[in-house]
Amino acid sequence: MSGRAIEVDGNQVWIIEEGNGGPVIYLHGFADVPGLAGDVPPLQMELAKDFQIIAPAHPACSKSDEREDLDNMEDLVFHYLDVFEALDLDTFHLVGSCLGGWVAAEIASRYPERIRSLSLIGATGLFVKGHPVADIFWVAQPEDGLYYNDLRNILFSSKDSEIGNELFPDGRGELDRELLRYGMFRFASRFGFSPPYLHNRKLRSRLRRYKGPALVIWGENDHLVPREHATAYSDELNNAPIEIISESGHSVQVEAVADAAALILKFLSKN
Amino acid sequence: MHAAKFFCWHFMAYPYLPDDFDDKYESAWVTVPNSLWDSEKSADLYQEYIDQLVYGEELGFDGLVLNEHHQNVYGLMASPNLIAAALSQRTERAKLVVLGSLLPLRKNPLRIAEEYAMIDMMTQGRLIAGFVVGGGSEAFNYNITSVKARSQFWEGCDLITRAWTDDGPFEHEGEHYPLRYVNIWPKPRQQPHPEVWIPGSLSIETMEECAKRGYNYFLSSRVHGSATKAAVSRFAQIVEDHGGAYHPYRMGVLLSVYVAESDEQAREEASEGVWYFLRNCLKGHLRREGRTQTFGPGIPSQSKRSWENYLNNSEPGRDLLGDAKDWDTLDAGGSIIAGSPETVRRRLMELIELAGVGNFLIQFHFGNMKPELARKSMHLFATEVMPTLRQQSAELFARDFPNLDEQLGESA
Repeated sequence: MSGRAIEVDGNQVWIIEEGNGGPVIYLHGFADVPGLAGDVPPLQMELAKDFQIIAPAHPACSKSDEREDLDNMEDLVFHYLDVFEALDLDTFHLVGSCLGGWVAAEIASRYPERIRSLSLIGATGLFVKGHPVADIFWVAQPEDGLYYNDLRNILFSSKDSEIGNELFPDGRGELDRELLRYGMFRFASRFGFSPPYLHNRKLRSRLRRYKGPALVIWGENDHLVPREHATAYSDELNNAPIEIISESGHSVQVEAVADAAALILKFLSKN
Repeated sequence: MHAAKFFCWHFMAYPYLPDDFDDKYESAWVTVPNSLWDSEKSADLYQEYIDQLVYGEELGFDGLVLNEHHQNVYGLMASPNLIAAALSQRTERAKLVVLGSLLPLRKNPLRIAEEYAMIDMMTQGRLIAGFVVGGGSEAFNYNITSVKARSQFWEGCDLITRAWTDDGPFEHEGEHYPLRYVNIWPKPRQQPHPEVWIPGSLSIETMEECAKRGYNYFLSSRVHGSATKAAVSRFAQIVEDHGGAYHPYRMGVLLSVYVAESDEQAREEASEGVWYFLRNCLKGHLRREGRTQTFGPGIPSQSKRSWENYLNNSEPGRDLLGDAKDWDTLDAGGSIIAGSPETVRRRLMELIELAGVGNFLIQFHFGNMKPELARKSMHLFATEVMPTLRQQSAELFARDFPNLDEQLGESA
């Protein structure tokens, strides 16, 4: 298996699937987007060794249709309820990166009984006073019309990151890649721009409703979501363990595939 | 006979930036530190700029144009309606074109319906009402979600014009601005309502929405002659597709002009202000260097399809207006025209003939230009350029638009 489209409420949703075993839903972030349009990406390939990994592309991302009726997190959660129903999934493990981690946390706080475990990688979503999520929309505007140094620095360990330069190159990339990135920014800005910059002030106090196992993974050099957010997630998720990936930036899921896969596989197999 | 109309446009730029501004700052918008603002030096700034606009009426311009910008040095009119109110007390004849008020910045656009109705009453019906959706800088300054701004904007336009024309109280069942009681006091002086102008930068969607509603379209993107011609053809076609007929007053264009006694003198006198405007005021906007805040993937207001169209038709990292290297490049571009009365007359008449546009909104003051130079240029334009252009354009329009009387009668 790899990619296929399913129909949800009249909209096409693109799904990457691989492996057999207990179902694991993976909700993606910015750095996953180019990868989700092609073959199964490396992290998902690793997880598929022991589990059935299912990675839907958010509306407007990869080959998923854009939803004009998507205004806020509530709309997005309803979208995913329909996705889970279409996939005939009752309970599942939930893994989310970046703003996919935010979506995962929102789903877990609403439907804790359906979530077998929750893994968050550099998740946005929380308000931590004095430690705001950096402005990814601002740095998506190129410097001198050509350069994305600040965008790469926010998403990866540094502007010189190899994978960062592959996924978010300077200048004009291939048209399809450009459109994939643009779609992700359209999606993110629909519910994460105004206000509140990629977070929900009410999420923090609602997280206590999820009492199942949780794991928090963070890049040592995350320049998008400050480390204080990892601590806050851990605090609200019953002191969930925090795993710091050395030398990785925000996008652990593509920058440190082996480390992330090992941690998640170990965590999933225990739960 | 119907002649082309000439409007005097002012941005009210901040003229006191340090000489090393361009080297030290990535933008003149949003993040340009307001520690650079000097209240002492600026003490008479608004008064001077208002005086220049009043002088525009004295010189016989058809109207005066105001605009709204925030947190930038390009334009200091954070509230154009305040300036319009001031001008209402100092002018008697000229149209006041507010182009325009940014609807998304109001929690409810009905506030604009009220303020515009007040201005229209205070001026005995001289308001031209501009509605603006805004660009990237407002996304960052005012937290406007660009993806949703457009549908909110068109609902706002419809709510305002209905508030002006339908008797209230009525209920507005809009998605974005639902209201139980719409019943504004005052209503505007002009009936059924002031002319509405919408600025756009070539997007087909904006032209279609204007055509649907009978609004006029104002091309704000500072393009050269042939691109203006292309925009006019596109809009004219769209107007026809919606059952209307295009005429020159359905569109306006933004131009920047400096007139002096000779071509050489014009360049020499305009240089300081024009290059300050290009290098400083346009940084963060129409400049490749630095970081633009007005357009781009971080402000994804366009549909994926429109973005694809843009990518296919643009060269990454190309020079924009503010990157022009010299006067010859500027001349070739045609959005800034500096020269003798004869040169400016010739070039504007070429544009009128080429494009068939009837509203010319002209910026005379650039960046840190000395007020006396801006006034001299306005004076030369009004006395030595405008009369001929009016006469020649009237003849041209009579030839090219034989039904103009009838069309203007209908739309009035």
